Amino acid sequence: MSRRRTYLRHSVLIGICAAMLLPFYWVLKTAVTNENIYAYPPRLLPENPHLFNFVDVWYFIPFPRYLMNSLIVSALVVAGNIAFNAMAGYALTKSFPAKRAVLLLFLSCMLIPFQATIIPAYLITSQLGLLNSYLGLALPLLSTIVCIFVFKAAFEAVPQSLIDAARIDGLSEWRIILRVLLPLSKAAIATNVVLAFIWSWNAFLWPLIITREPTMQTLPLGLARFLSYLEDTTGALYAFAVMVLAPSIFVFLMAQKEFIRGLASGATKG
Amino acid sequence: MPAWLKSRWVVVPLAIALTALAWNAYVVVNAGGTVDGRVVDAAGQPVPDASVILLERHFVMHNERQRTRTDDGGYFHFSGNDNHSLQLEAEATGLGRSERRVVRLWFRAQNVRLTEPLRLPIRLP
Repeated sequence: MSRRRTYLRHSVLIGICAAMLLPFYWVLKTAVTNENIYAYPPRLLPENPHLFNFVDVWYFIPFPRYLMNSLIVSALVVAGNIAFNAMAGYALTKSFPAKRAVLLLFLSCMLIPFQATIIPAYLITSQLGLLNSYLGLALPLLSTIVCIFVFKAAFEAVPQSLIDAARIDGLSEWRIILRVLLPLSKAAIATNVVLAFIWSWNAFLWPLIITREPTMQTLPLGLARFLSYLEDTTGALYAFAVMVLAPSIFVFLMAQKEFIRGLASGATKG
Repeated sequence: MPAWLKSRWVVVPLAIALTALAWNAYVVVNAGGTVDGRVVDAAGQPVPDASVILLERHFVMHNERQRTRTDDGGYFHFSGNDNHSLQLEAEATGLGRSERRVVRLWFRAQNVRLTEPLRLPIRLP
C-alpha cells in the first residue's frame, strides 16, 4: 500500500512537471524545425529537426555584439550587487539610530515599480554622463533591496562571537565582511548572483531608454529588432528565444547547489 | 592541483572557452567560400555548359549573387561566397530548370560540396 501510494504521488508529480515544462519544450521544438508554433494539429515530436535556425539568428542581426553587451552589463550588475548588497546587509545587522525607519524606507521602496522612477533615473544617468554606456545600463540594478535583505539574513546567522573575535584580531570592518562573513554566506552570494544575473539579462525597458546606438543594445532589444524584421512565428524567432534563455539557465544550474541549500537551510532553521 | 582549479566555476567556463576556440579554429580553416556541385539530367548524365545560379539569403528574400557554367563533366564551382544560407538553381537549353536547392551552412563562407547533384527534368538527347 505504501509503495502504491509512492507510485501514485510520483506519477502526479511527474504529470505536473510535464505540464510545467511543456511550454519550454514547445519553444525548443519549434526552434529546431520550420513549423509554425501555432500549427494545428500540434505535433509532439519535431518533424525534420535541424539546428540551422540558430545559425540564422547568429548572422541576421549582430547577435555576438548583443551577447557581449548583455554579458558585460550582467557581469557589472552581479559584481555591483555582491559588493554593495553585502555592505548594506552588514550595516543593517548593526544597531544605529533610526534603523527601524531605514528598514521601513527600504521596504516601502520595494513597493514602487521601476517604471515610476524611470524619468529621474534617466535624468541622473544623463547628468553623470553615462547614457549609452555599459555602466549606465547596469546602474539601476547595481543594488537591489531584495538582495540586501538576503545578505542581512545570512549575516545575522553568523555568530556574533566570530565577528567579535575577528575584531579583536585586528580586522577592519571591510575585512570582516570579506574574510569572515562572505565565506560563510555562499548561499546568499549564490542567490544574489542568480537573481542579479536574471534581472539584468532580461531587462528591456531601461536599455531601450538609454541606448543611442544599435551597437550598445542588449539581447532583449535584439530580440525585439529581430521580431520587427521577421514577423512570423516560426523557428528562427524561437531559436533566438532559446539562445537568450540559455545563459540564464546555465548560471542557475551552476549556482543551484548553493541556491537550493540556502532555501533549504532557511526552511529547517530552529 | 589547487582546489579552486577543480571548482565547477573554473572548469565549466574553461571547457566552454576551449570549445569556442576549437570551433573558431575550424571555421577559419574551412571558411573558403567555395561551393561545388554537379548538374545532371533526368537520367543522371552530366550536363555540360548548363547555367547555374547562386542566390544568397537576406532575411526573407533570396537575391542572385553569381552565375557560372558547368564544365564538360557537369561540374560547377563558385568562389567568394560569404553567406550562410544559399539557393542553387541550374538551367540548360532544352533540358528545363532544376528545383531550387536550399543549402544551409554552419557558418558564413563554409566550403560546401553538394552531396546530391542538381537534376534537370529532361534527359539529354
